[in-house]
Amino acid sequence: MTQNEEVTLCMESITKQFPGVLANDQICLDCRKGEVLGLLGENGAGKTTLMNILYGLHQPDSGKILINNQPVEIESPAKAIKLGIGMVHQHFKLVDTLTALENVILGIPSKSSLHLDLSTARKRFLSLCEEYELYVDPSVETWRLSVGQQQWLEILKALYRDAKLLVLDEPTAVLTPAESEQLFKAIRKLTGEGRSIIFISHKFGEVLEITDRITVIRDGHVVGTVLTKEASYSELARMMVGRPVSMERKQRPENPTIEPVLVMKNVEANNDRNLPALKNINLTVHAGEIVGVAGVDGNGQLELAECVVGLRSRTAGTIHVKDHLVNEVMSDPSFVGYIPADRQKVGLFLGLTVAENLVVKDYKKPPYNRHGVLQYDTIRQHAKNLIKEYNIKTPTEEVDASNLSGGNQQKVVVARELSEKPALVIASQATRGLDLGAVESVHDFLLAERNRGAAVLFISTELQEVMSISDRIIVMFRGEIMGEVDGDDADVSVIGQMMLGKVEEVAA
Amino acid sequence: MKKETKTNKFISIPFIGELALSGARPLIGVFLGLLAGAGLIALSGVNPLHAYRAMLEGAIGSPQAIANVLVRASPLLLGGVGVAIGIKSGVWNIGIEGYMYAGAIGAGIIGIMALPVAPIVHIILAMLAAMVFAAVWGFAPAYMRAYRGVNEVVATIMMNYVAIFLTSWLVHEPQFMAEPGSFFPMSLLIAPTAKLPILMKGTSLHPGFIIGIAACVIFYLVLRFTPFGFRTRMLGVNPIGSRYAGVKVKKQILLVLLIGAVLGGLAGAIEILGLKMRVYMDFVAGVGYESVAVALLSGGNPLAVIASALFFAALKAGGATMSIQTGVGAPMTTIIEALCVIFVIAVGHGERMRLRRLEAKAKGTEEVQENDN
Repeated sequence: MTQNEEVTLCMESITKQFPGVLANDQICLDCRKGEVLGLLGENGAGKTTLMNILYGLHQPDSGKILINNQPVEIESPAKAIKLGIGMVHQHFKLVDTLTALENVILGIPSKSSLHLDLSTARKRFLSLCEEYELYVDPSVETWRLSVGQQQWLEILKALYRDAKLLVLDEPTAVLTPAESEQLFKAIRKLTGEGRSIIFISHKFGEVLEITDRITVIRDGHVVGTVLTKEASYSELARMMVGRPVSMERKQRPENPTIEPVLVMKNVEANNDRNLPALKNINLTVHAGEIVGVAGVDGNGQLELAECVVGLRSRTAGTIHVKDHLVNEVMSDPSFVGYIPADRQKVGLFLGLTVAENLVVKDYKKPPYNRHGVLQYDTIRQHAKNLIKEYNIKTPTEEVDASNLSGGNQQKVVVARELSEKPALVIASQATRGLDLGAVESVHDFLLAERNRGAAVLFISTELQEVMSISDRIIVMFRGEIMGEVDGDDADVSVIGQMMLGKVEEVAA
Repeated sequence: MKKETKTNKFISIPFIGELALSGARPLIGVFLGLLAGAGLIALSGVNPLHAYRAMLEGAIGSPQAIANVLVRASPLLLGGVGVAIGIKSGVWNIGIEGYMYAGAIGAGIIGIMALPVAPIVHIILAMLAAMVFAAVWGFAPAYMRAYRGVNEVVATIMMNYVAIFLTSWLVHEPQFMAEPGSFFPMSLLIAPTAKLPILMKGTSLHPGFIIGIAACVIFYLVLRFTPFGFRTRMLGVNPIGSRYAGVKVKKQILLVLLIGAVLGGLAGAIEILGLKMRVYMDFVAGVGYESVAVALLSGGNPLAVIASALFFAALKAGGATMSIQTGVGAPMTTIIEALCVIFVIAVGHGERMRLRRLEAKAKGTEEVQENDN
């Protein structure tokens, strides 16, 4: 640390233990006057916990916080605000039914208990809007504002309280590219005035664009801090991937891959916020191959999977599975098997038994349904077979699925989706949150599907598993396919750079 | 190495014990509700044991008392099972009151006609008319909920008021249904051929409770053993997953709400044809809402609806006797009903929290192990 630079914030050896999870492990971090510090890490790495400690929402188990070299105890957000810390949460903390201005002055004690001086507040608010070019109509109720404007409002709220240190948690996740540009402009203005910004993100491109230094957090501890202008893409890619990538490839027989199963042409689609999430996707997956989809989380992978199975409607283009045009939910597991990213929310029915979970897509067909009556004997026998075949650890097939461990829950989904021998398999984050043994068995099941002749689309943010299992790898960045590499001689640094949105320079 | 403990995780949750507990839950809740009710009765200066004995006597003390309970239970059985299917599929069908009025109008229109048909045919026609009227009535909120995302609680409650006042308008002169020159606005008397038979002399016991219990059993079997019922249960535990599994979620919600409407309409018809013999504005004041409480107490299980409907009817019937014999106000029974429902929900909530803590504990150790890897 250079001596002449003023340190606004210093967090030393912050440790926070949650029941069962060590969220922050001896984290040290400092942010200097007038700089933008990027805080980079994947979901669940501990970024948000650390910032909640800074904002007084959590108390650290050990470690200390210094502001302007003075040790401080931040026991509440009110104290944090008093110390000049402003926070824009990922999920906004606005009161929907109040106007923009009312939201800003909410919680600030009025000078007189009888009179609320709105006109002064309004003037101050408008001058802040003007100054930072973040325009929000003060008299509009918050629920009418666009998501981007709600974010401006959160920032204005912090500035109204004269925050010297502003924490932005995933600010661009909800913004359009144009809005992001506007935000970056405001950030530069703020740092020019000597304010400091902590910019939390898991998106590399924007962190590299806007920050001065980057601290990378992984699994609750700091991997390292680098100067942005000295940071090389490959170094960041390595830090992002985390553990050293072992190039152990799964052994596989050669499959003649000629028959196209999944054909996507010029596909475009929006995300849940109606912003473009997929741009001109052209992709073909053949029978007997695994196509891996690499990319940092949130670059269109979820939307890609949902489009293919018909859960999300596309705004342009065509998707064919075999010769069938996808225009409704593909729920026939003998045709398409889909292992969704969020098994508890999408794939499983907690509250139904394991046996019932194994037939949620097939219950209408014989032999499970005869003359409008469900054949529970057959359903149970079917479950017994699959429990054995897929090695699902459960006392009986009649147990509620919520009693199984995460790995075995996933095996229930895998068994249901693969046992009918589908022509196309889509696995979306199929191994997230599983222990190594379960990860291994999911990989083996998918590889067996490939060898049987199924077309497999394997989506994962874990580069290592994509590289170990795929025949071909495509890389997604901001909703586009950045490029394709062969699975056998894939180069981490090439893929890593594509994940950051850089293509040609290295591909050559 | 530590993995051993994880694979055995489910053993650490004694789910058979949980199951037994979840079955006992309504009983514990009802017991606590009665206990709290006893406290309130004591506060009003009456020995709660005396009060409850009077209540019991009023409910099952004589064949007439039992008949009275069964008559009171009829609309609760049908309405309760209608709400219960909704609960199973994750929607709150609070419109039973309105469906009963719509059904009563339908049954009334057919019932007051002098039709040259056998009584059984007349009754069936009146009931069918009731179900059709209620289905049409229920379609509006059901469609709004299923296809337009309007909150079903708000929509169905609002429709209740409309139904009640529509009924009032229809039985006022000069509408064709109204009894001319009556001191109180009411419809013409139901034709003798449309009246439900009386099963026991000296009481008003009609076959409504048989229809109600049959409906509960039928819908228990439907939920348990048919594809339609399976879809309903899927929807109840995971709406997002249901869409993913190919369930036409909107259609299913519409159907479930309509079934509730039809059952409510039938309940209204039975009340008119079997007991009230006329349609008028307050002919079932609040029974539709009581059906919601019945369904809540049953936890959405149609078989349990039988027990909880009979329990509510017994409380009501016994409450009258209690009020006469001990001077405790009859509204006390409504209070006790409410207390029972609240305690059942509270016990269930406490149970869920306990399960969640257990789960979090199990999950916590799992995550630590993953970090170790």
